[in-house]
Amino acid sequence: MSFGSPYVTLPDFTYHRPKSLDEVLALLKEHGDEAKLMGGGVGLIAFMKERLMSPTHVIDVKEVAELGQVRQVPGEGLRIGAAVSIAELLEGGDLKTEQAVLREALARVADPMIRRRATLVGNLCEAIPWVDSPPALMALDASVEVAGPEGRRSLLVSDFIRGPVDIDLGPNEMVTEVVVPESKGRRSAFEKFTGGSEFSLASVAVSVSNGGKKRAAKLVYGAVNSTPVRCPEAERLIEDGLSPTKVRRAAETASEKVECLDDVLATASYRKHLIKVITTQVLWRMM
Amino acid sequence: MREITVRVNGRLSRRTIKDNELLLDFLRDRLEVRSVKAACWRGECGLCTVKLDSHLVKSCLVLAVEADGKEVKTVEGISPEGELSPIQKAFVSHGAAQCGFCTPAWVLATHELLQEKPHPTQADLVEATSGLVCRCGTYNQIREAVAEVSGTTARPRHMKESLARA
Ligand SMILES: Cc1cc2nc3c(=O)[nH]c(=O)nc-3n(C[C@H](O)[C@H](O)[C@H](O)COP(=O)(O)OP(=O)(O)OC[C@H]3O[C@@H](n4cnc5c(N)ncnc54)[C@H](O)[C@@H]3O)c2cc1C
Repeated sequence: MSFGSPYVTLPDFTYHRPKSLDEVLALLKEHGDEAKLMGGGVGLIAFMKERLMSPTHVIDVKEVAELGQVRQVPGEGLRIGAAVSIAELLEGGDLKTEQAVLREALARVADPMIRRRATLVGNLCEAIPWVDSPPALMALDASVEVAGPEGRRSLLVSDFIRGPVDIDLGPNEMVTEVVVPESKGRRSAFEKFTGGSEFSLASVAVSVSNGGKKRAAKLVYGAVNSTPVRCPEAERLIEDGLSPTKVRRAAETASEKVECLDDVLATASYRKHLIKVITTQVLWRMM
Repeated sequence: MREITVRVNGRLSRRTIKDNELLLDFLRDRLEVRSVKAACWRGECGLCTVKLDSHLVKSCLVLAVEADGKEVKTVEGISPEGELSPIQKAFVSHGAAQCGFCTPAWVLATHELLQEKPHPTQADLVEATSGLVCRCGTYNQIREAVAEVSGTTARPRHMKESLARA
């Protein structure tokens, strides 16, 4: 029953359920600006209720077989299709120790019913500051595969997210896959603080690689600013391993250096406090 | 407009719908399955939960057209007509419903959990129902009801725990 409130009805649109990638691309070519892609629809349906989006064509990609796969490509990494739900991805067991940060972030997204519908790609493409997959993907140097009328291109998640709710994607383009590169010996973890709601008020994604000669650490903070932010000063402190002193110094450094926003959800100083807490928690767990 | 065919609790229904109709509205308004509640409309409270083919989903975040050719199960479909399932009986004996508005969703979700895991741990229960809200706060009674059916004992704990999102 609609009570006439924008929160319960959807704008008028034509629904498409293509079966192949070529069909999706043809629909995007034809309807471009007027169309929105739908993975799980969790975000899209909510945005349409609030009239933040009013597409006249909705292109559901869930039944596109080419997009429904998780593939382990030797020498390259893990390729996760746009139609793979978060629940399927977690159940498939492909996210191993190397990708622990992504597994931990996704396992805490919403609840089992929403994870059954929502996709990783949809979560990423929302690019809302507080969603949890972007920092985790950035900590893993993940990239996205984009397909469009001019062919395909690949770009890092850190470049793909341009701003809040702003991604580097043309109206006729779509994301087909997320690629998590292989990295032997990498360890990673995720932590967030939500204050009891579904919104992360601050999240942190860590990865430490010590494969071969190159050691590298990444600390990526989500939900504290309009896009995920790294903290190179704190990263340097943990590159050569962790100790209680290093954990404390890294947490203090990140809290001091990471720029935080003041908004209706939390003040900047509260976010800085949370950064210290969750950085300590996550690094302590990795020690 | 298009015609869709959905099997709801075993019965085939064919209806003409608009593409922008929610599964929630389709079930409540067109098929008059009123156990599916419309409450928050934004995927938070879970009272519109139904089983779509093999998984539970929140029907306020699903389009009706997506259910075309699929099977939907609601609380009416968990036991034969006129009979109560074990979890329904346990809800009654433990007073696990207060105002009753959320009860169909909780019964369906706990029934499905028990089908999948006959002896769920507290953590399994909290996780499986983390997308559901009971505004009266009958979490402890629900826990006791599930424990009775699974043959375990519910340790009394603060009900806030059930609300804590993992
Ligand atoms: C109650 C609730 C709790 C939540 N809790 C959390 C949480 O704890 N953590 C968290 O991170 N998120 C949370 N969310 C947000 C939710 O996880 C996201 O809305 C969801 O992951 C989006 O994925 P989807 O597949 O449903 O995307 P959709 O809704 O299908 O799409 C989202 C956006 O991405 C676009 N899009 C989809 N697929 C593609 C594609 N292949 N190429 C290009 N663009 C595409 C769509 O057009 C749309 O703009 C919550 C949401 C709700 C309702």
